[in-house]
Amino acid sequence: MGSFLTRDDYRVELEIFEGPLDLLLYLIRKDEVSIHDIPISRITEQYVEYLELMKMLDLNIAGEFVLMAATLMHIKSRMLLPPDERPEDEDEGPGEDPRLELVRQLLEYKRFKEVAEDLHTLEVQQATTFSRNEDDRSLLPTVERPLAEVSIFDLLAAFNEVFKRAAEAPVAEILGDEVKVADKIREIRELVQHTDVVRFGDLFRPASTRLEIVATFLAMLELIRQKAILVFQRQVFGPIELALIP
Amino acid sequence: MGTDNDTMTNGGTGAPDVETTTDVARDAEPHVKAGEQQPLEQEATGREQLLAAVEALLFVSKQPLTTASVRRALSDDVKLSDVDVATIVEELRISYLRDGRGFRLVELAGGYQLRTASEFAPYILKLFKEPREERLSQPALETLAIIAYRQPIVKAEIEAIRGVDVSGVLQTLVDRGLVRIAGRKEVPGRPFLYETARLFLEHFGLKDTEELPHISELRAADPKQGTLDLK
Repeated sequence: MGSFLTRDDYRVELEIFEGPLDLLLYLIRKDEVSIHDIPISRITEQYVEYLELMKMLDLNIAGEFVLMAATLMHIKSRMLLPPDERPEDEDEGPGEDPRLELVRQLLEYKRFKEVAEDLHTLEVQQATTFSRNEDDRSLLPTVERPLAEVSIFDLLAAFNEVFKRAAEAPVAEILGDEVKVADKIREIRELVQHTDVVRFGDLFRPASTRLEIVATFLAMLELIRQKAILVFQRQVFGPIELALIP
Repeated sequence: MGTDNDTMTNGGTGAPDVETTTDVARDAEPHVKAGEQQPLEQEATGREQLLAAVEALLFVSKQPLTTASVRRALSDDVKLSDVDVATIVEELRISYLRDGRGFRLVELAGGYQLRTASEFAPYILKLFKEPREERLSQPALETLAIIAYRQPIVKAEIEAIRGVDVSGVLQTLVDRGLVRIAGRKEVPGRPFLYETARLFLEHFGLKDTEELPHISELRAADPKQGTLDLK
């Protein structure tokens, strides 16, 4: 999959806060597999698929994503060998499961993500009470919460579904037709302005070309970055919906 | 009930009752005043004054008021122990609750602070011209959590847990005063050690870091983590 975007010359500067461990935890949760017994081939395959998607969309992702892909493939290759035939590895004790270090890292990170949620609850509670020096505090720079409650991976999953369907559809692509992200931004703006809540799928016209789908998706990311729209899910892994930020 | 009428109504029905009660009341009043209530009142005045003084200190304090500051501020007139201060504060706290005041006295970041009751948050937000977004981003919360539970900690250790570069987030947290530099770690390169600042406790409404959720469990993982890091 090459980049579709060079022709359009458009790069979404949306900062992706999630890292490789977030993607792995997302995939493990989505597939409902055990973190202690990760089906490494399947997860690696999916991981690489998301990584390719992010590269194709030219998203601003952390370099650690590529490093993790290499780690996963390394673990995968070691898993294929019986324990006594595995070459020595400095990160791995003799006879140790090649996944052990990764599992430990994932479990620890997951634990911190959970307490970060606890902290968030405390923060929300505390934000309902005010002391006399509130004015001072308002001078401090605020730290923003990105993408509302939807992760970039949820968005990518939704995008991938639409994109795959288009790839399978026997529609000849008219490559000469230029699709501009800027036009799509205008289109989405109009759509959310006239509808309270727009479903992600409704952003794409039936029989959209792949180029059009990419441009539409990037336009949506750009609107998120501009804080013009809010994306949300009513339940975990539920359909993604968009609304205008008033 | 007029005293003049007491003798006049003496023969009437139901009068003895009235007379008895007034007599008791008349007798009892001077007794109580002389014996108990007066010294109590005097003491109460001193006590009320003390409570009011501490209330005044709480009112002007921008930062959570510590027990030590209260003792120091009042030291010319009264020698208070830490327990005395705690008792006074507790009395004030209960009185605000009982009187249904618009603010509460809370223990926060190693001191005490007057804070508005949560139920009035909508009015206060409306009063402020620009409502502030006080919530921290997911990466900021995760980074803060790691620092809070594993402090003091160097940047590389935070990155090992989060799996991504944290330079930007860390700088924002320092700029915002939630995190501060605790010193340098005596390892090659002498990297900075980070720890949570007082504002962190205030922001999350915590008395101290011991009050963090699941603190013992997450700190218990610390030595294990340390040995793994040595590789």
